[in-house]
Amino acid sequence: MTTLHLDNSHHIREHLRERASATIKRRQFVSRLMIALCWLAIGLAALPLGDVIINLFTHGWSSVSSWAFYSQLPAQPTLVSPDAVGGVSNAIVGSAVILGYALIGALPIGIGIGVYTAESDSRFAATLRLVVATMVGAPSILMGLFAFGLVVVQFGMGFCIMAGSFAIGTMMLPVLAASTEIAVRNVPATLREAGLALGAKKSTTSLRIVLPAAITGIVSGAILAISRAIGETAPVLLVIGGSQAFTWKAGDFGEALPFMIYQDASSSYPAQRAQAWGIALFIVIVVFFLSLTARIWANSKQKERR
Amino acid sequence: MSLNTSTVSSPSPVTNVEGRKRPSTSSRGAYEYVLLTAAALFALIAAYFVGTVIWRAVPAFREQGFGFFSNAMWNASFDPTVPSQFGSLSMIVGTLITSGIAILIAVIVGTGTALAITFLLPSRLRTIAATLIELLAAVPSVVYGVWGLIVLTPWFQYTVGPWLAGIPGFDWLFGTTAGGQCYLLAGLVLGAMILPSYVAIGREVINSVSKELIEASLSLGATQWQTLWKTVIPTARIGLFGAGTLALGRAIGETVAMSMVLGSALSTNYQLLKPGATLAGWIATQWGEAQGSSQVPALFALGVILMVVSLSMSLISNRLVARQRRAATL
Repeated sequence: MTTLHLDNSHHIREHLRERASATIKRRQFVSRLMIALCWLAIGLAALPLGDVIINLFTHGWSSVSSWAFYSQLPAQPTLVSPDAVGGVSNAIVGSAVILGYALIGALPIGIGIGVYTAESDSRFAATLRLVVATMVGAPSILMGLFAFGLVVVQFGMGFCIMAGSFAIGTMMLPVLAASTEIAVRNVPATLREAGLALGAKKSTTSLRIVLPAAITGIVSGAILAISRAIGETAPVLLVIGGSQAFTWKAGDFGEALPFMIYQDASSSYPAQRAQAWGIALFIVIVVFFLSLTARIWANSKQKERR
Repeated sequence: MSLNTSTVSSPSPVTNVEGRKRPSTSSRGAYEYVLLTAAALFALIAAYFVGTVIWRAVPAFREQGFGFFSNAMWNASFDPTVPSQFGSLSMIVGTLITSGIAILIAVIVGTGTALAITFLLPSRLRTIAATLIELLAAVPSVVYGVWGLIVLTPWFQYTVGPWLAGIPGFDWLFGTTAGGQCYLLAGLVLGAMILPSYVAIGREVINSVSKELIEASLSLGATQWQTLWKTVIPTARIGLFGAGTLALGRAIGETVAMSMVLGSALSTNYQLLKPGATLAGWIATQWGEAQGSSQVPALFALGVILMVVSLSMSLISNRLVARQRRAATL
């Protein structure tokens, strides 16, 4: 009996060991396979993104590195001179002007909303917070429709730079509000309480203590909003009308860089398609530069404070 | 509800002081009114935003009735005796197909990438990869449109398309003729476009999974993958779902890139190698010629569909991401 029992348990142990080593082998095989797939995923993600960057430089560099790109007005190529595409000076100015007007309107309001929702616990603030969070995800073309309905038709201004600025500004508002709120909330409560304990008014505390402490977050948010706005095509496509001239007047037809990409990309002239790549590269460089500057600046400020 | 709890969990310091004696009698001074004005102005803008888009669409909804959702025809009539026909069916299906392909790519490839960046890359590369991904998320969509139109369309037309169309037994999916601008290409470009923003949020969410949980799983003898699949992903699932919803929202609202790589065709043939249209893309392609006609309200009506879908989705995703953040901090 006992021998049989021992024999049996030995058998079971052997069996278990075999089973265990089999599952471990299987589990490790599956693990290696899936980890390899994760590496593959990184490769798959890098492939299109890398291809976009490579194409931007190979097709767009000749435009971006030529002076005419910045100094000349666009020209329509013909069969006789298929390479005469001119430059995009009017679109650069147009984009800057549209963005400028949009910022004049959106910066104070956006930062105001952010500070308000960060400092108030009222119902209204809670509702606003929800509206801001929802509008951040709204498709940009809806802002174009909004600007068309309100500025172009209702205000009777027609297609113009102002309508483009309005669309871009409305798009930036929730982004500015959200980033400002986070920045203000991240200021330590002790700092604010110290200000109040010294007898400073609420507004003084807010303006002279909390806002300076939150400024890195606010500026980073603003730069993020700007870099999103520069490449935004859909809203300006609907309302600025397009123009070949050089203008900064709010009531004129306008031109913008992404709008020009959209027109140039489907051209049958290779030179015009190359110009589309050039503008795209220009925008990407500006956007990268802006976000990198914001990041480095915020980091150095952070270190300074420590 | 979730907002209330969030304000309770992180009380604004102002309330702490509010109950005590106010430091100054003119506490609600000019500064507060300036802030309140900005807030009120924004509330007004938001209300006008929703109101304007809906109001401009009313004529189209009234004229077309329910047919606006079930009809696939889009004929602007300039003859007053013949009614215009506007139906959004093929745009709705087109949007579903392209964003469906895109979100599938973004979630599968993106989750793998986020896991790999967080757990597999050496720490120095990790920061670089994270920065790079966030920079790429800022590349404007029109750039992807140019890339899709100029680089990928010919490749699809002459290489990928004929190959897919030649696979026997898949006629129902791809069709038998290859096209350049098509649903499949649009879905792929859209997937590449939303991938960085999904990875950027997904990485953050995965990074917030506590080290203790991971170490506990590993110490119990789980393999690396079992730890990722059964501990990390379930812990981060709400946040990942939120990131996915956010990315899907971007995919649905994408305009110019879609009008560039999907073409602008309306048909009830939804095979993947056929050109088509999405809600947002159709607004952009028709906008120029629509001016002054009854098409404008119909395009606004497409905008209303887009608005309802995207706003409700961003509402959901915001709640999910916020809930995940709270769970991570608790």
